[in-house]
Amino acid sequence: MRFQIQYLFKYFFKILPYLKVTIEYAGLSLLFGLIFGSILATFKLQKNKVLKYFGVVYTAIFRSVPPVVLLFLVYYGLPQLVLNLFGIDIQNEEKILYVIITISILSMVSLSEVIRSAYISIDKGQYEAAISTGLLPVQAMIRIVIPQMIYVALPSIGNIVIYLIKEGSLGFTIGLVDVFGKANSLNQNSYSNYILEIYVALALIYWFSSIILERALKLIEKRVSFGR
Amino acid sequence: MLELKNVKKSFGKNKILKGVDINVNKGDVVVILGPSGSGKTTLLRTINFLERADSGTMIFDGKTYDMKKAGKKDVNFIRKNTAFVFQNYCLFNNKTVLQNVTEGLIVGRKVPKAEAEEKARAALEKVGMLEYADYYPSKLSGGMQQRVGIARAVAVSPDIILFDEPTSALDPELVGDVLKVIKKLAKEDITMIVVTHEMSFAEDVANKVIFMADGVVVEEGTPDEIFYRPKEERTKQFLSRIIPMDNYVI
Ligand SMILES: Nc1ncnc2c1ncn2[C@@H]1O[C@H](COP(=O)(O)OP(=O)(O)O)[C@@H](O)[C@H]1O
Ligand SMILES: [Mg+2]
Repeated sequence: MRFQIQYLFKYFFKILPYLKVTIEYAGLSLLFGLIFGSILATFKLQKNKVLKYFGVVYTAIFRSVPPVVLLFLVYYGLPQLVLNLFGIDIQNEEKILYVIITISILSMVSLSEVIRSAYISIDKGQYEAAISTGLLPVQAMIRIVIPQMIYVALPSIGNIVIYLIKEGSLGFTIGLVDVFGKANSLNQNSYSNYILEIYVALALIYWFSSIILERALKLIEKRVSFGR
Repeated sequence: MLELKNVKKSFGKNKILKGVDINVNKGDVVVILGPSGSGKTTLLRTINFLERADSGTMIFDGKTYDMKKAGKKDVNFIRKNTAFVFQNYCLFNNKTVLQNVTEGLIVGRKVPKAEAEEKARAALEKVGMLEYADYYPSKLSGGMQQRVGIARAVAVSPDIILFDEPTSALDPELVGDVLKVIKKLAKEDITMIVVTHEMSFAEDVANKVIFMADGVVVEEGTPDEIFYRPKEERTKQFLSRIIPMDNYVI
């Protein structure tokens, strides 16, 4: 069958609205990943052996589990766990919740590594100079150390976000309708007659998103480059 | 004005400070000399609580502090009234020169922005760095960065400034400018402790020289006494190694 460009456009615009779902899980997973990744990174930076060991073991476990396996564990296992522990039924929660939990867990591991090495890369002297000039330790972190960590970590965080978006497309295996889920269902509805048009449209959407993401990163990078 | 009594500090099994006493009066310029590894940096750091002494007493502005037990409030008070100039400058790389100087005023001391900037500009003027106010540190030479480091210390009007080998990370041709700035401050009666190996500078500005070795004060006195009539063998040895003796015949 001949490739029909007008169908490419048609499907492009049919799939595009579902980018909202992709952005939602990528954004929220990044947020949770950053929060818990920072906590995990502080564990790993501790002198305290127990916390440090916990951080290392956690990283090792979740690095070795294939993402789709983790997604199934979260999707099928978590509702039972929550039901048994707290007596709350989350069986009918929206599917995106499980995807967000899964990729948060995954991204938390890589983000904690990125955060840890960014922290190490900032000379401790600046922190000391800040507290010795009268800043409180928390002010020294927020005003001096963290902005510089962001600059160091930004390229890696960008890569992780792209990876998050790709991992999230596994959500279709539990029936999440994001751009990938929508493309699949469009393909089934049309009996695979327009399979190429549909998936080329999908690839274009992923491609455009990553271009926009890169632009956004460049803008942030400029803001935190401090004359370098 | 600042008195330390019996300051001790170990890192693991290494005893770095073995009971140091020093006394600094208002307006004093105290130079600390000593071989590397003798604990000079550690001593300055315990004054600023960047390092917590294992034991010792500090009398500062008439108040007595237990250096091991001083609480957050006391530590913050002492830090706000002392300033530290670091060997490797330690400027805030994410702030401009002006912001480096205003940070301690605006954030640390709640000085209104306009007033803080005025003070910062005056301090930068003093060290000859005003025209670089909007530069980021990464664009400056080591000597310039250190002058900004000094301005940052001066701007908060501390009771005492602690200099830890302020010129030893600099290329030789940049040392002079920085020393000139410190001399200028010394003439303004700013109280300071300066760890340095610059002997002629020490002779010029110090009114007290302390020689430290192996975590203790070996000898102290006027520059004249220490450089020309040292009593202790260790002091003589140290001086003969860093200054050709014939410069110092009496
Ligand atoms: N944080 C630290 N941990 C372990 N050892 C340290 C630490 N800081 C300094 N030391 C050791 O203390 C000794 C004295 O160091 P320092 O005070 O820097 O001497 P100086 O400034 O006179 O050269 C050195 O042997 C150094 O290795
Ligand atoms: Mg030193």
